[in-house]
Amino acid sequence: MTYIGKPNIVHPKAAKNSIGLSKRDYEGVVSTLCAGCGHDSITAAIIQAVFELDIQPHELGKMSGIGCSSKTPAYFVSQSHGFNSVHGRMPSVTTGANAANRDLTYIGVSGDGDSLSIGMGQFAHVIRRNLNMTYIIENNGVYGLTKGQYSASADIGSKAKKGPANQQKPIDPVSMGIALGATFVARGFSGDKEQLVPLIKAAIRHKGFGLLDIISPCVTFNDNVESTKSYSHVRKFYHQVIDTDFVPPADEIKAKYKKGEVMPIKLHDGSKIVFRKVDKQYDPTDRAGAYTYLRDSINKQEVITGLLYIDKECDDMHEIAQCSDRPLSKIPYEELVPGTGELAKIMNRFR
Amino acid sequence: MKPTNTQDPNYFHKVVDCQWACPAHTDVPRYIRMIAQGRFSDAYMVNRESNIFPGILGRVCDRPCEPACRRIRVEDKAVAICRLKRVAADHRDDISDRLPKAPSKKNGHKIALIGAGCASLAVANDLLPLGYEVTIFEALDKTGGLMRTNIPQFRLPPETLDEEIQYILDMGVDLKLGHRINSFDDFLEQGAFDAVFVGSGAPKGKELDLPGRFETNNVHIGIEWLESVAFEHIDSIGKKVLIIGVGNTAMDCCRSSLRIGAKEVKVMARKPRGFFKASDWELEDAEEENVEIIVNHSPKAFVIENHKLVGMLFEEMEYQIDDQGKIDRGKVVREKIIHCDDVILAIGQDNAFPWIERDIGIEFDKWDCPIVDETTMMSSRAGVFFGGDAAFGPKNIIWAVAHGHEAAISIHKYCSKEDLNDRLPPGMNLASQKMGMHEWSYSNDYDTSERRLMPHVDLKERFKQLDIEVELGFTLEQTIKEVERCLNCDVQTVFTANLCIECDACIDICPVDCLTITDNDEEDKLRARLTVPAENMEQDLYVSETLPQTERVMVKDEDLCIHCSLCAERCPTGAWDMQKSTLLLPYAKDEANSNIMSKVSNN
Amino acid sequence: MKAIFRMGIPVVGKNYFPSNIQGLPTWYEVRVTGDGYQSASNQLDIIIAMNAQTYQKDLLAVDAGGWLIYDSTWPRSKLLDRDDITVIGIPFSKLCNENFEGVRSRILMKNIAYVGALAALLKIDLDIIKELLNETFAAKKHLAASNLEAIMLGYNHVIENFACPLPLSVKPLNKTKNHVIIDGNTAAGLACVYAGATVGAWYPITPSTSLMDSFQAFCNQLRKCEKTKKNNFCIIQAEDELAAIGMVLGASWNGARAFTPTSGPGISLMSEFIGFAYYSELPAVIFDIQRAGPSTGMPTRTQQCDLMICAYASHGDTRHPLLFPSNPEECFYMTLSAFDLADELQTPIFVMSDLDIGMNDWMCPDLQWDNNYQPKRGKVLNAEQLDAMEKFYRYLDVDGDGITYRTLPGEHAKGSFFTRGSGHNKFGGYTEDSQEYQDVIDRLLVKWETARKMMPEAVIDYSKFNKTAIISYGSSDGASREALYRLKEQNKNYNYCCIKSFPFCKSAKDFINKHEKIFIVEQNRDAQMRSLLMLDLEIDPKKLISILHYNGNPIYANFIIEEVLKNEKKGVAA
Repeated sequence: MTYIGKPNIVHPKAAKNSIGLSKRDYEGVVSTLCAGCGHDSITAAIIQAVFELDIQPHELGKMSGIGCSSKTPAYFVSQSHGFNSVHGRMPSVTTGANAANRDLTYIGVSGDGDSLSIGMGQFAHVIRRNLNMTYIIENNGVYGLTKGQYSASADIGSKAKKGPANQQKPIDPVSMGIALGATFVARGFSGDKEQLVPLIKAAIRHKGFGLLDIISPCVTFNDNVESTKSYSHVRKFYHQVIDTDFVPPADEIKAKYKKGEVMPIKLHDGSKIVFRKVDKQYDPTDRAGAYTYLRDSINKQEVITGLLYIDKECDDMHEIAQCSDRPLSKIPYEELVPGTGELAKIMNRFR
Repeated sequence: MKPTNTQDPNYFHKVVDCQWACPAHTDVPRYIRMIAQGRFSDAYMVNRESNIFPGILGRVCDRPCEPACRRIRVEDKAVAICRLKRVAADHRDDISDRLPKAPSKKNGHKIALIGAGCASLAVANDLLPLGYEVTIFEALDKTGGLMRTNIPQFRLPPETLDEEIQYILDMGVDLKLGHRINSFDDFLEQGAFDAVFVGSGAPKGKELDLPGRFETNNVHIGIEWLESVAFEHIDSIGKKVLIIGVGNTAMDCCRSSLRIGAKEVKVMARKPRGFFKASDWELEDAEEENVEIIVNHSPKAFVIENHKLVGMLFEEMEYQIDDQGKIDRGKVVREKIIHCDDVILAIGQDNAFPWIERDIGIEFDKWDCPIVDETTMMSSRAGVFFGGDAAFGPKNIIWAVAHGHEAAISIHKYCSKEDLNDRLPPGMNLASQKMGMHEWSYSNDYDTSERRLMPHVDLKERFKQLDIEVELGFTLEQTIKEVERCLNCDVQTVFTANLCIECDACIDICPVDCLTITDNDEEDKLRARLTVPAENMEQDLYVSETLPQTERVMVKDEDLCIHCSLCAERCPTGAWDMQKSTLLLPYAKDEANSNIMSKVSNN
Repeated sequence: MKAIFRMGIPVVGKNYFPSNIQGLPTWYEVRVTGDGYQSASNQLDIIIAMNAQTYQKDLLAVDAGGWLIYDSTWPRSKLLDRDDITVIGIPFSKLCNENFEGVRSRILMKNIAYVGALAALLKIDLDIIKELLNETFAAKKHLAASNLEAIMLGYNHVIENFACPLPLSVKPLNKTKNHVIIDGNTAAGLACVYAGATVGAWYPITPSTSLMDSFQAFCNQLRKCEKTKKNNFCIIQAEDELAAIGMVLGASWNGARAFTPTSGPGISLMSEFIGFAYYSELPAVIFDIQRAGPSTGMPTRTQQCDLMICAYASHGDTRHPLLFPSNPEECFYMTLSAFDLADELQTPIFVMSDLDIGMNDWMCPDLQWDNNYQPKRGKVLNAEQLDAMEKFYRYLDVDGDGITYRTLPGEHAKGSFFTRGSGHNKFGGYTEDSQEYQDVIDRLLVKWETARKMMPEAVIDYSKFNKTAIISYGSSDGASREALYRLKEQNKNYNYCCIKSFPFCKSAKDFINKHEKIFIVEQNRDAQMRSLLMLDLEIDPKKLISILHYNGNPIYANFIIEEVLKNEKKGVAA
């Protein structure tokens, strides 16, 4: 936290995107989270991703619930509308928002408490609706704002700065997402932006629910050596099974991969996700296989990262409901109201 | 790259761009902070230690610091460093108690200083407190040298000049005015002095030998003409005046002309704008007074009719400028006569030592300048030192002062029979500025204010008398704003690699993208790979030791860091800290004490 | 019922059903009234006892001099032992078993045969019944024929075996022209279509479910894009009420008109979000189809028991405007008002219907539509206006009415702000500063007073000669009016005020101030309207006398009359 704002100056050589904005134009107010919080790095990665995707700031909706993670939408893209809702209920608000205006890009930021405890129900059901949004879980294994209680994602035996080690089984949002039928499931690490930024971009461009579980160490309560969600632990057990690259529609895939090693997947808007398998057995389009691999890795205490599962063919909420292609909130009233004659006809049915 | 050695005083010194650019290495951020606190006398004394003439330099310094100012790279206008120096001088209290004092017991060494200009005065300033007996020989009737003769009074009031010179003379100088030395051989032969310092300047204006030059009395040499105006030997000039040349002397000539009768003054430049020698601000000041600057005119002949100068013939030039900004020799497109009553030549100065015999062991180079050691300032004859314009040709006051400091050290070592080259190295002190979680002992908030403009005396008023000082000095309000523009480049970002957990907080918060964590590499590759590629090769990369978790390195491009402290504030482990670097420059008195670290202070 | 209606005779239907799906007895009460009373009656003239389990109970329910009709295929004279009524046994099962194939079909046709029997006994126009059958089974002609056969079975049997019609029979009138029989949920669902609502989110709960069913059905009929055949609406069945209200808020944040129908338990669950919407000032329309509480209570029984929770839903200082429709017609028009008010006031608006209004069939005048109607969308800045502004601040009271300007996402970068339930200042920024916080909270009170002026006026029947008054609202209105009318017949005159909204309008306050004694008729135990009046208008509690009916069945006029008379007698005695 700082008492001064981030100075409003830009490096003269800083890059601009195709709509003429610099990365600084996508910033928010200065974070009030603890210095070194993983969430701030994720915020920076989001800024980088939306900057690179040339998203108009005001066409982005920033959604969140309650908790440290849910404060972060204030820290990116000030020129976007934000909705800091109630605890665990961001998915429903985003569902309604998307129902009303399907043209905006929605990034929901949640935490392990917000999604895996109080908001578990809404989390499951937004997956079920395949809502077109990016859903980020900033996962640190503890409740920060209430001073460090374990959350549902804390590993057995993991020990936070104070109190005894956690003894309850963790809920893994990634395997849960795959089991619930999520159409895009990835895990990243706040300390590895090189991987994180393409993952966020791919999740945004995925038409449907893009679930991103991001391990994000809590420097204040859970970055000690006995914690499994510390910077050092995650780095030690980091296992990137899939190297993911995001290629915008107009760009050609760069030839830096060896032949046979890559697996490009084309998204609905023409952009591509290029997978490079670090582990040859892994297939990110095989739901059952991905699930099994993940459960095995959990037993091996590995932190598996990358885009772990994708189904790009699935219909999103609007397609399932056969909604108008136009945003409902933009349809003129004249087209919505049936008029006098129609009401008279209806009345005759009630005699 | 190897980890940066931050213990090398030069590393952080270089980050303080203004101080690095200043020949005398004045600690600019430090005195600006003092001004911000209303400590004008302290700010004056910080200045005086390094540049000796804060009041004078606060008005007429060539300001090498300002083009170097980081603020130019961040936005486009430098901090008004020079203006603030004048603020310190204008608002100081009586500081006579704090001036160096000469001991009543002398050390027995007698030193002669030739010329009473800034270089000699600087030497005197440094040697008198050590007990040296100093004699100054000055050809003119007044002290100050070029500061008095060549800088018009409307830029530098005589009282300011006198006051600051007097501070030195008051320590007890044997001042011999009107004492021109005609034979250096004779002077040295007398053997009255243990060492001699030549600070006689570059007193010869360049000549322009074109047809008609010597057929009229209305062509003047700039510096000589200025000297005559200063000493009131000249008090008028024709209505139409042409100045040849666009250096700072030209600016002084044109503006002086306006004050003694000229109505229409044109400054004739051979090259286009951007290739002028005059400082931008001097050009601006002249143009404000309706001086016309005419570019691309190369003088060809003086036009004389009936033994009277009526104008000058010029060749109008056309130039090509290449991608690197280099200009070619140009070609003539046409000729043109511009009418005038007087011409002032301001095309440069030369050194002139007609009084130094060439067979007395002082070697001269092919340009007829004495060969002087750049470190020790000693000529090829032991015990004879040069400084100021006399040493390496025309420079400026601040260079002369810097020479004076170095020469004083050398003279002290020479008299003490020490090796002149075995000089104290500069020292450096680092002190953390952290006061609390989000509190620093300096103003770290970036102030977006624009550079304040110097208020001037009304255009009509200023021409009434020759000695009306045009610049009024900053008001208090202007000062309060301007001091906040300083980025405190001496408050350094200091990194401790083994504390870093690579959380990226510093990288994410940095407003100017100057931090990157990446794999180590060679400098050029590293420069290309940074968050924003580091293209300014004059600015260093700060490379950390290997980071403990991923074995990468933290790299900082010093180029655009605005020293806002946010990296240190966002750092959860204190791997980044903001520490004030204080450069400890040795002067003659420190050589005498042989202990540079005694200078550490808390400001 | 519809046949009687089409004979021009006003009818009211009340359904009494248990909270289960199949097999438990259900009663449907039809009130036939030449006077056009809209409320339930406690008088039962004819009962058709279709269920053996309830014969005994049904027998006792009939008023003296009434009739009981039952299936006499297996006579149970012992059970039907009452000599002040006439018992008519008709062997419905036998008749159907002889004429229809299949067990299921026989049971269904037996129910239809009752209609034929009744038609004969009450002289209901057979042609109208045939017309209704043809309309109902327009697509399935064979069903029309078999149903008619069943009706004729009952009809003919009765004509042949009993003296028809009974002394109590129906006579065609001309009192139902330009009227419809409709329930409140259907009317409200239809109104949502007309109001331009595009997003409906809900979690199924009795007795609100049929509102969304109605919206869905009307949308399928009226809201498909002609060209693309795609839906110009989005109905989301949420995972719970918490999500349903969240979706409504998300949608209205984005500029859609959105609503959720629910009942008491749903309101409890929605409370946190309702407080959020109040504080962050988001429009929402919430239908509370009230049912008997507390807790699960009696889900299929009616009450007016959610006033307090809706008026002050959520923690902290919150209060919400309520609308009280008295019948399906008002459900339609008040739904339109609710959407306008929600947008204009930027706050959740509750439409306080109940099971009686929402699910029972009421006779109402035809619903009318004015094609000139334009929705009032309130203070929403468009891109052009934002472009012309130097800076936009979300919670700045520019007009002094407590209502600030809002912007929609995607409109213009200048309009962006953070919608949040945490402390915020008038500029829309996060704050923990006491004064900044209080500025906003106080301004919301200014808005509350603005709302008071915008809410629908109470309906008042006042005469300066009457000293005592009756106040009611919502579904108690019908019984109250009937009671007033019948008291008047006894020469007991009372002034009447039917409250239509909270915060209470000035006319209601003036009305109360003009009386020394006021009966407040409502259908809950705790006199919630009385409490609200005391809280909002600071009325002296002593002059407010409650008449409370809260057993889950709709209130009826006799109850009110008795309570009023009892109180008046007490007054005289004292």
